[in-house]
Amino acid sequence: MITRRSRRTLVAVSLAAVTAVTLAACSSGSGASSGNAASGKDPKAFTVLTANENPTLTAELKELASGACSAENKALPLKSQTVAQADVVQKVTLLASQNALPVHFIAGTAMVTPSGDLGKNGLVLNYEKELKKLGVWDDILPGAASTVTSVYGQMVSLPYQYNIEGIWFNKKIFDKLGLSEPTTFDELMADAGKIKDAGYTPFATDGKDAWPVTRLIGDYIFRSMGPDAMKDVQDGKAKLTDAKYVKAAAAIQQMAQDGYFGQGFVSTDAATATNAFLTGKAAMMYDGSWLLSNINDKSQDIIGSDNVGLMPFPAVAGGKGSIDQWPANAGAAMAMNPKDYGPKVGQWLKCIANNYGALALKKDGVVSGFKINKTVTNVDGPTKMVQKKVSDIKQTVLWFEALMDAKSTSLAQSNVSLLTTGQMTPKTYMSQLQASIDANK
Amino acid sequence: MTTMKTMAEPILTSTPSGRARSRRALRIVRRIPVWIIVAVLLIVVLYPQFWMIMGSFKTQTEFLSNPTWSLPQHWDLSNYIDALTRGNVAVNYRNSILVTIPAVCLIVLFGVAAGYALEVMIWRGRNSVLLLILAGIMVPGQMILVPLFTFYFKIGITDSLWPMIITYTVDGLPLATFLMAAYFRSVPREVFEASTMDGAGALRSFFTIGLPLMRNAILTIALVEFFSVWNDLLVALTFTTDPSLATIQVGLLSLNDQYGSTQYGPLFAAVSINIVALLIVFVFLNKKIMSGLAAGSLKG
Amino acid sequence: MKRVFGDRKTILILLGPTLVIYVLLKIVPVMWSLGLSFFDGNSLSGFTFTGFANFGRFFTDPIAIQSLWVSIIFALLATGGQIILGYLLALLYVFVLRKGSAFIRTAVFFPMVLPTVAVALLFRNLVSVGQNQGPINDIINLFGGKSVEFLASSVGTMAVALVMTYWSSMGFYAVLLYTGLLDIPDEVIESARLDGANGLRLVRHIVVPLSMPILISSIIFSFNSTLKVFDSLLALNNGGPGTSTTPLTLYMFQTAFNYSDYGYASTIALMLTILCLLFTLAIFRSSSRKAEA
Repeated sequence: MITRRSRRTLVAVSLAAVTAVTLAACSSGSGASSGNAASGKDPKAFTVLTANENPTLTAELKELASGACSAENKALPLKSQTVAQADVVQKVTLLASQNALPVHFIAGTAMVTPSGDLGKNGLVLNYEKELKKLGVWDDILPGAASTVTSVYGQMVSLPYQYNIEGIWFNKKIFDKLGLSEPTTFDELMADAGKIKDAGYTPFATDGKDAWPVTRLIGDYIFRSMGPDAMKDVQDGKAKLTDAKYVKAAAAIQQMAQDGYFGQGFVSTDAATATNAFLTGKAAMMYDGSWLLSNINDKSQDIIGSDNVGLMPFPAVAGGKGSIDQWPANAGAAMAMNPKDYGPKVGQWLKCIANNYGALALKKDGVVSGFKINKTVTNVDGPTKMVQKKVSDIKQTVLWFEALMDAKSTSLAQSNVSLLTTGQMTPKTYMSQLQASIDANK
Repeated sequence: MTTMKTMAEPILTSTPSGRARSRRALRIVRRIPVWIIVAVLLIVVLYPQFWMIMGSFKTQTEFLSNPTWSLPQHWDLSNYIDALTRGNVAVNYRNSILVTIPAVCLIVLFGVAAGYALEVMIWRGRNSVLLLILAGIMVPGQMILVPLFTFYFKIGITDSLWPMIITYTVDGLPLATFLMAAYFRSVPREVFEASTMDGAGALRSFFTIGLPLMRNAILTIALVEFFSVWNDLLVALTFTTDPSLATIQVGLLSLNDQYGSTQYGPLFAAVSINIVALLIVFVFLNKKIMSGLAAGSLKG
Repeated sequence: MKRVFGDRKTILILLGPTLVIYVLLKIVPVMWSLGLSFFDGNSLSGFTFTGFANFGRFFTDPIAIQSLWVSIIFALLATGGQIILGYLLALLYVFVLRKGSAFIRTAVFFPMVLPTVAVALLFRNLVSVGQNQGPINDIINLFGGKSVEFLASSVGTMAVALVMTYWSSMGFYAVLLYTGLLDIPDEVIESARLDGANGLRLVRHIVVPLSMPILISSIIFSFNSTLKVFDSLLALNNGGPGTSTTPLTLYMFQTAFNYSDYGYASTIALMLTILCLLFTLAIFRSSSRKAEA
């Protein structure tokens, strides 16, 4: 029975609903302009948006502004802004929709691909074209350029960091147990068994952040089926539910079941895992070359920096990939807004390309994807080792979630703890992931 | 409030001479469970904070390698110095204070007035308005971040602390209003009506009777809102475009590195400074509540 | 009397500012969000009208349904625990500790003051296993049990999250309810005592009914804030393992800000609001029935 009171409520609710829909429809008109011309107008300042958690980049740019790039800085002053890493996608989407994007900004991986929100709205500059125009394209290391292009589909990020990933290992423990660098996965597992029996943790693992574990799945896949294995999945040529892909998940699950990740690894965080490795409790740790900053820090590195080695993820028996295809990544995407790309910004870009490599190495021991144009002395041993490996790279592979959409990436990482603790079978893990990839194409 | 008698009377023993002694002994024995409960409570509540303060004096390696309850090897202040310089803690503190105090003042001011208007004043439609405000408590704050940001951007205030102050005020008003209405409801009407006998208007009644009566409630709400605003992360994160605008909570986040590794030492140092500052605020406000109680200003 | 307390101008002065701020900055954005649930997309790439598609999607999305249950279960257990513990503490302050309660009140309230990030870190450390085991597992070992990795299972994570919530907010509810208990006139207590009621009976028949308004308000407030739990489950285990401790707020946040799908996220927000509404109405209904009894 509709009483007067409920009728009044009904009217109020429907009025509200209509207002709501109208409001939403009105406000949606902003944003999506289709300009993707590479040269725009110079802005008033060289605004750079970086992550809170990466103060190194901000510091380096400020150093350039007062040093090697002071002329460019005078013409267009540097203004730095930061955002929390977890908040990048939200912030950048918001800023972009208000036409308030900084000139040079950090962005989420999926955003800068051609089908991503920034990519399809023409808000990412094509560096290759511009750097070639400025004549400094060869300041980008070829390995870095190829990594960036494979991940993002186009050269839309500057490689302020260039990281390779591998298995850091404790040379002393290896010598003590008479082990040598394994070249196949089976050898690695055998070594891990011996290490565990001797009372050490084979792999210090940051299970809390999930990606250190999914990296292993990805590496196994690349070794087993070649560098294009994940691209094939993205293109629909293969499915994650194919036997060989499922085998990769099973192999990693087996590692966990055998106890090679150590006790309680699912809730172990990065700092704890790093500590376990650097104090000699764990013999190995899969991580990227960014670990250098911890290794070179004497208060953290108890086992001594000359005791630390880096070896690549080994080959899989009968696999199409090879051991010298290093997994690599070029850090978070640092894109530029083509609308703000004028001659002054171009000069900044040129200056950065020329000088960043040497500066980052000298000041912070950071290995970047820029060429080192000035000789740098006093480089720490481990850093020198990594630098050499980086310059010897001929072919790189990506990581498991590199080409996935944001939702599938999230699923891959959130489900991996269920996989490793046996709460989910490898087949289910892969089929759920494949379903998500298909749904979000 | 006058003291209340204990819940149960002590049992008298049979012999008259031992009566007084055993009565006292039994009273002490009866208090033992209370002491145990209180002790357990205090340990449960205070030990973790003690642990954090201890952690702030340890280095990263020490913290992760040595057992949880071990004392730091050196009592050096490097973590604190790190937090203050790299963590930019001083600026963060200033911002947190500049944002929280105005927001809390506005919330309390408008909330008490609104609570009075909705509960004590009589007018048609006041129940609907109360329900409307109640609805505000139910909406998840995350959803209105985007439209609010758009609004602030359009009126050009995004480069200041104002977006945060305004947003926190809007967030805290519904609760403050609702709670004040509840506290007002528990006061008998006659108290307010009596004050208007001599011709004073409702507004005067609000200032002379309503506010003093609600002193306790106001201070409680102020306390609650203070901590809710001070510890909020999401709103601060959204409306902070510049490191110079970051509040404490946003600043704490920057003590992680980009690969997710937490710097425990500086983090705990920052939190410990936080604890000390908040302790001061809390003790100060609590004293006010205590003096209000003692003055008996509650009972009219 | 009615003229004095019905004075329009006074009402406007007292209620005006609140109402203006509230409508402009809460109601309007909420309406905008609500409208968004009929669309797909985000503010950068534009919106496309999809009618009720998002609602259908919500009910067939397994993660959405799971988040719904997580929110409900967490809210029920957290509210139950917080209110009961808070009420017991308030009774302790008023009847047992009396004047000496100030220090205890402060101490127990204090965990509320700590940032969620720090509290989550604290609890992660308390329950950790492995080489640097936390105190909880040490105690378990002491009693002869095997170390448990709490954060590897959904039940374990939920349990830790609940304990974490109780630890930090019981002091808050204690203070809230304590203020309400203080308002009970002494004469009422005295006369009830004289009539022979004491201890448990005093509490049940006198104290609880008299503190009903603040109790009900606290329960409503508690439900509304625990249904919208966000910080603690995120900071503790990122909504894991898997997505098994992801509440609706977290799922909504991820949908809006990580997957850039504002339309669907608004739908989730709407569902959450309806949930809060249902809980609040249920409490109002049962409390008014109790009052009539």
